Amino acid sequence: MSEQVREPVLVVSDLRAYYRTSSFGVEREVRAVDDVSLSIEANEIYGLAGESSSGKTTLIKTIAAAIQPPLEVLAGSVVFNFSDRRVDIHAVDRRELAAIRWKHLSYIMQGSMNVLNPVRRVRHSFVDFAFRHIGKPMPEFLQVVRNHLQRLHLAPDVLDAYPHQLSGGMRQRVTIALATVCRPEFIIADEPTTALDVVVQKGVLAMIHEIQRELGSSLIFVTHDMSVHANLADRLGIMYAGRLVEEGRTADVFRSPRHPYTAHLIASLPRLGDTSPKKGLDGAPPNLANPPPGCRFHPRCPRASDICRRETPPMTWLAAGHRAACFHPEPEQAA
Amino acid sequence: MNGYPVYLLTRLGQFALVVFIGINIAFIVTHATPIDPVEQSIAAATQYGSTSPEAIALMRQSLKELYGLEGGPIDQYFAFWRRVAVGNFGPSLSAFPTPVSVLIGRALPWTVSLLVVSTLLTWVLGNLLGGLAGYYRQSRTLRLGGLLAMAFHPIPYYIVAFMLLIVFGYLWPVLPISGGYKMNMPRDWSWPFIASLLTHSILPILSLALVGLGGWFMGMRSLVSNIVTEDYVVYAELGGVERRRILASYVMRNALVPQVTGLAMSIGAIFNGAIITEQVFGYPGVGTLLVSAVYAGDYSLVLGITTVSIVAVSLAVLLIDLLHPLLDPRVRAR
Repeated sequence: MSEQVREPVLVVSDLRAYYRTSSFGVEREVRAVDDVSLSIEANEIYGLAGESSSGKTTLIKTIAAAIQPPLEVLAGSVVFNFSDRRVDIHAVDRRELAAIRWKHLSYIMQGSMNVLNPVRRVRHSFVDFAFRHIGKPMPEFLQVVRNHLQRLHLAPDVLDAYPHQLSGGMRQRVTIALATVCRPEFIIADEPTTALDVVVQKGVLAMIHEIQRELGSSLIFVTHDMSVHANLADRLGIMYAGRLVEEGRTADVFRSPRHPYTAHLIASLPRLGDTSPKKGLDGAPPNLANPPPGCRFHPRCPRASDICRRETPPMTWLAAGHRAACFHPEPEQAA
Repeated sequence: MNGYPVYLLTRLGQFALVVFIGINIAFIVTHATPIDPVEQSIAAATQYGSTSPEAIALMRQSLKELYGLEGGPIDQYFAFWRRVAVGNFGPSLSAFPTPVSVLIGRALPWTVSLLVVSTLLTWVLGNLLGGLAGYYRQSRTLRLGGLLAMAFHPIPYYIVAFMLLIVFGYLWPVLPISGGYKMNMPRDWSWPFIASLLTHSILPILSLALVGLGGWFMGMRSLVSNIVTEDYVVYAELGGVERRRILASYVMRNALVPQVTGLAMSIGAIFNGAIITEQVFGYPGVGTLLVSAVYAGDYSLVLGITTVSIVAVSLAVLLIDLLHPLLDPRVRAR
């Protein structure tokens, strides 16, 4: 893992992805991702946080080019700089996408309990997903897979099992092994531990971390579980109502949240020894079919002023590597 | 495959039970009918002249032996099972003295081949097209196919049979409309004979297939359009797995499991359909035989056909059920 300066692996610029439906002449537009820009370096873990329906899953689906109508990309681009090519993922055809998938870009899905074909042995999933990239005859390919499983402390005989014979945690581990067997440069993980209990969760997170460090891949993952972010992410992005509202190094965001929404989010986390009652935020997240004008957080924000109701706050650098979209950011907390 | 022997044994036990209960019901129903085959045979034999009472008594005695009607109901019941075990159902009444087993043996190959071909054809074609239509939802050709299948599906098969007769036998007479093969043709398995067999079977098979196709088509299409949203299909698409591979191994393979169950369940109904189809096309199968047996009050023939069909249908369902665990590993786990 060299420290040489290289371009970010992923550059998302001004991405806008809406769900557009039209039924009986009534057009409806849900602004799930609005003007999001971010970049992710090589060998970096980027955590995406936010409450349900804040658009985080839509964002990474769009990054993965896993979009289907009614979801549409209206503006912006998602560009990957892989070692051997530069790819605008929404501009390439099916064939090129298939060539990139799993070799350069792999995906760990939300609810990965059911991502393995229930009527076929696990081995076939590895063959279907990875065989075309490894470029070796079948016996050698299977040996590669077995070695990879062993490296992840999985018994190679899971290959001969059916998914229903594995426990939930095992299935998730097998899925992670499946997603990393081609040593991808970029891994997208959508709620990789949501369905698991905390003990299994810890093991799975350690496994993701270990394999990411070993491969030197970049990882973007989504979860609403802030403790997972604290454990895993190098950098953290907070989404609210379809927009990225704050981004910074994980430690900085936890120590000194600058956007009022992030501040509330972090203040709501329970801490050991802290017995003070937790305050909830009044109101509900806005309807993305009809978001409020200006800053989308202003109806719930204690710091809101007139400008917040009129104008959309731009993402502004407030400290090194720390930016937020707010006209009245919280003061910085000392380290 | 650990649980498979256990599954096999349980399923065989169920098969034996179903056959046993079915044949018992057939026995009770035929013995509850007001037709007394012995008296009918005697009436037929003594119609044209007087016979001495002693001769009639002797005749009655030997006929009762022949039909297994000696003694009380319990004796008759056990005698009946002895006959079922050796496959002897006595002589036919309407075709006296040809044994029932010979009549059934002659008709059975026609019905079995008609049903096997039309069922498999319908099932395979319906599922294949339905699967394609569910997966490639944008295709115009497949949407048109779906429309046609839906149009044919609610029509009763005997109406379809008559429609086919009118179209291909009268308006555009290209196909034979009756019989199993050309009359008076030697059954020597020569090419002309086989060709005649095939052309005669087209219309009966078509009448069964056209109606059945729609059901499988629509069932498979809706199954597939659910399965394409399953996580494992979405994930395979994200993994860049070939579309054809996704369709075959991920989508169809999973959709087949309930369709195989459906096939097993439909087999009983198909047998009923064959009875009327055979009548319409004068096909020399079990259905035609059964209808004429019922009209003639041919008690032993009805009992024989019922027993054979109970065994045949249960056997077909058993075979399909034994296939089931091979398709779905979750059925194997106990």
